[in-house]
Amino acid sequence: MKIKSPQDFWAGLMFIAFGVFFLVVAQLNYQMGTAVRMGPGYFPTVLGGILAVLGAIVLVGSLTVEGPPVAQLHFRPLIFILISSLAFAYLLKPLGLLLAGMALVFISAYGGHEFKWKEVAILSVVLVIFSVLVFVKALVLPFPICPDFIEVCPIR
Amino acid sequence: MKRFLLFLALAAAAGAVAAQSWPSRPLRLVVPYAPGGPIDVSARLLAARLQEPLGQPVVVENRPGAGGNIGVDLIAKGPADGYNLVMSAIATLAINPSLYPSLPYDPLKDLRHVALLVQVPNVLIVANDLPAKNVQELIALARQRPGKLDFGSGSTGSTGHLAGEMFKMMTGTYMVHIPYKGSAPALADMMAGRIDLMFDNLASSLPSIKAGKVRALATTARTRSNFLPELPTLDEAGLKGFDMTTWWGVSVAAKTPQAVVDRLSAEIQKAMDAPDMKERLHGMGSEPPAIRTPEQFTAFVAAELKTYTELVKRSGAKAD
Amino acid sequence: MEGIVHNLGIGFVEVFKLQAVTMAGITMTLPFNIIMCLIGVLLGTLIGVLPGIGPVATIAMLLPVTFSLSPVAALIMLAGIYYGAQYGGSTTAILVNLPGESSSVVTCLDGYQMARQGRAGPALATAALGSFFAGCVSTLIVAMFAPPLAEVALKFGPAEYFSLMVLGLVSAVVLAHGSLIKAIAMVILGLLLGLVGTDVNSGVLRFAFGISELADGIGFVTVAMGMFGICEIIGNLEQKEHREVFTSKVGRLMPSKEDFRRMIGPVMRGTALGSALGILPGGGALLASFGAYTLEKKISKYSHEFGKGAIEGVAAPESANNAGAQTSFIPLLTLGIPSNAVMALMIGAMMIQGIAPGPQVMTERPQLFWGMIASMWVGNLMLVVLNLPLIGMWIKLLTVPYRILFPSILIFMAVGVFSISNQPFDCFLMSLFGLLGYVCVKLGCEPAPLILGFILGPLMEENLRRAMLLSRGDPFVFVSPSKPISLGFLIASAILLVIIALPALRAKREEAFAAEDT
Repeated sequence: MKIKSPQDFWAGLMFIAFGVFFLVVAQLNYQMGTAVRMGPGYFPTVLGGILAVLGAIVLVGSLTVEGPPVAQLHFRPLIFILISSLAFAYLLKPLGLLLAGMALVFISAYGGHEFKWKEVAILSVVLVIFSVLVFVKALVLPFPICPDFIEVCPIR
Repeated sequence: MKRFLLFLALAAAAGAVAAQSWPSRPLRLVVPYAPGGPIDVSARLLAARLQEPLGQPVVVENRPGAGGNIGVDLIAKGPADGYNLVMSAIATLAINPSLYPSLPYDPLKDLRHVALLVQVPNVLIVANDLPAKNVQELIALARQRPGKLDFGSGSTGSTGHLAGEMFKMMTGTYMVHIPYKGSAPALADMMAGRIDLMFDNLASSLPSIKAGKVRALATTARTRSNFLPELPTLDEAGLKGFDMTTWWGVSVAAKTPQAVVDRLSAEIQKAMDAPDMKERLHGMGSEPPAIRTPEQFTAFVAAELKTYTELVKRSGAKAD
Repeated sequence: MEGIVHNLGIGFVEVFKLQAVTMAGITMTLPFNIIMCLIGVLLGTLIGVLPGIGPVATIAMLLPVTFSLSPVAALIMLAGIYYGAQYGGSTTAILVNLPGESSSVVTCLDGYQMARQGRAGPALATAALGSFFAGCVSTLIVAMFAPPLAEVALKFGPAEYFSLMVLGLVSAVVLAHGSLIKAIAMVILGLLLGLVGTDVNSGVLRFAFGISELADGIGFVTVAMGMFGICEIIGNLEQKEHREVFTSKVGRLMPSKEDFRRMIGPVMRGTALGSALGILPGGGALLASFGAYTLEKKISKYSHEFGKGAIEGVAAPESANNAGAQTSFIPLLTLGIPSNAVMALMIGAMMIQGIAPGPQVMTERPQLFWGMIASMWVGNLMLVVLNLPLIGMWIKLLTVPYRILFPSILIFMAVGVFSISNQPFDCFLMSLFGLLGYVCVKLGCEPAPLILGFILGPLMEENLRRAMLLSRGDPFVFVSPSKPISLGFLIASAILLVIIALPALRAKREEAFAAEDT
């Protein structure tokens, strides 16, 4: 059995996985009710089942019909972009907007092709200042600007 | 024992000292709902008003989730320094403890209740084409048609829902509960005659009542509402003891120093007495509550908690 | 007819009227309402352009400011923010594939592709002009037909909504231009993801696994930022022949004559569809935008271009969503019922001002009612005047080297998503969806159908179950002759399904025949 379309093969697997997941969780935890008076588990079960079936169809199709291979995965941009937004989110409260913002810019820039220290540094400063002005000053979003360990923030 | 008393004295003194310098930085008022609802709006009104007397800004922070539980828990478990306040409501203090299988906070032990802001009755409204002109006729109709009447509510476990359940229990009738996402779609369905009745919040249903799109039969509080003085209360109409309102106010963490709580309470009451604030809250269907002190509020919360725990258990309502 | 002219007259007088305004101790006579309208649309545009921050949060934050304003001025400003945000959201949808509002999702599909081909100028212009036309027409519709349209809206019960959603979902499949089965699967995956959260009909918390932040479900913004924004940025960074700039082609600013010719039909049809669907509380405007897209794709002779930068794919949804935005005021102004979260806020604003929203507003406060309607038109005019010259600026922005552009986009996205509930969790979810989107794209599955399933799924289920509750379990309620609207939508869905399936089936048969021949 040769996989004629790797893309479809993995797509089919993904759909089957999701479908089965939702179906199983719904079956284990939520009441089905009846078709007439549906419980919370009804829709997810039915949909999960349909998704799994569709996934199976795609999977079988991948074994018979030629298709494109899975597009190349590039890990560097993927990982750094994801980490940069996670870093920002989890560093915002403890470190404040200034530092968290700079972290985001640096980490995400590292995920790109060209990383020039001076350029990124300037960019991060500009963006952070802009953010403070627009988000904290103008829109009054409740973000801390300075890190926790600095007692009194010079910027307020 | 002596050590303990000494400790108490020191704590009180520390509290007093803290209260002297309080507030020395901005306060945070957590609204445990998404922006835009009536609780959020009244919080912003209050925050704007408190800025001047307190000398520090009050920053409103929305922390929606889990019917309000997340935001309340945040403050309950947070620092008891008087800088962290939360908008607590009937849902988070009196209903959710029995509605949800497990609540991360205890409404009486983990929180200090400072001030009641708004108290609004619900109104029993029926669709225009329903052949019931008053509460008695409605009860008779419901008894004639068990399981045929539909009553809508803004969500499972809301005051609209529980008022309906209470009504059913007290009159021995069976009506089907139709939950909606908010009272607006429920009102729309009622205007179109798809559902028969609702126990809706006064503020959201008043416009429709005044416009004649729906008919009001009674209010749910113990005393009549000044907005609809000709309407009897359910208590007057024969359901003795019926007394349900929707309410919300401000709470802080339990260990907040007494002096801070007292000062907060005084300032909030003053803010609410201001004529423009009164007018705006009035626009939301609220009349100035009789409860004015933290002690009264706490007693009220305890009483409501008891009532609703009982009601939720008997009606079998549940949120997972 | 004279009544309308008279009423509109009242409205325009109110909007343009001069008032004595005291600021910083100086009293001036200004057309204050117009100024508030301008501030509103400016603010709205800014909000719309900033990904993640929407009109709801902004209006909520500005409510205290409105206390000191007259009711007319306050509502004009807030309304301006609302449809200003629509315009702004379209701008980001076209430029950086980030839908500012759920109704801009569809604009991303072709608008962004046009931008990549150096046709950002015509795309933006089309969006602005189409929106303006739609705004004018729908304002007239609101002025003339508000009360009867409201009655029509009331005819939509759960059964009708369900059938409409089914039609919407079938249309969602049309959006994709790849494999049909994978598109359907994506829609269903979106449906399932939309079910995470508290179930309306039973109060049960589904698929939350004890994470209390998921109790209210996953937010649209989070999913959109993740699957459209993050995914796109990563995709762009992957290009080995790294394009220095986002696009080196900076084409013309304005649409060509050919573009104009192609725009007219879609704009008209989009306006009609948007005006009709916008009056439906809950999801009307969104359905309008991709209903319009689907319609155009099916009837256009350029349908092969859809998804690759067809101008109709921008003109139709943009007109539809702006028309929908205007007509969504109808339930508010006539019945006092909000169609969406923004309208609910407007009700809050009105109540704070001591105005009870409802049918009596039209008769008791004609200046307020007609002033608002007139301001809608003026606001649209301001937006077009504002946005068209800005196109040049936006295009310049696209020529900024990408390595500078993408961290900027990213920080705005992160801030916006974080501010939803001031918790890191939403950003975490956004990253998760970014990963999901990335994987899907690699596997040849498109994100757009998923997002549409995500929005429509819960609504569909809610209405299905509610309709069944009300009918006491009678499944034929959806096709009963007493509910012609519901029946009509379901028939339309079936027909559409057949139309969609037919080419696919034909293609499969041709493939099979071709395979036989070789």
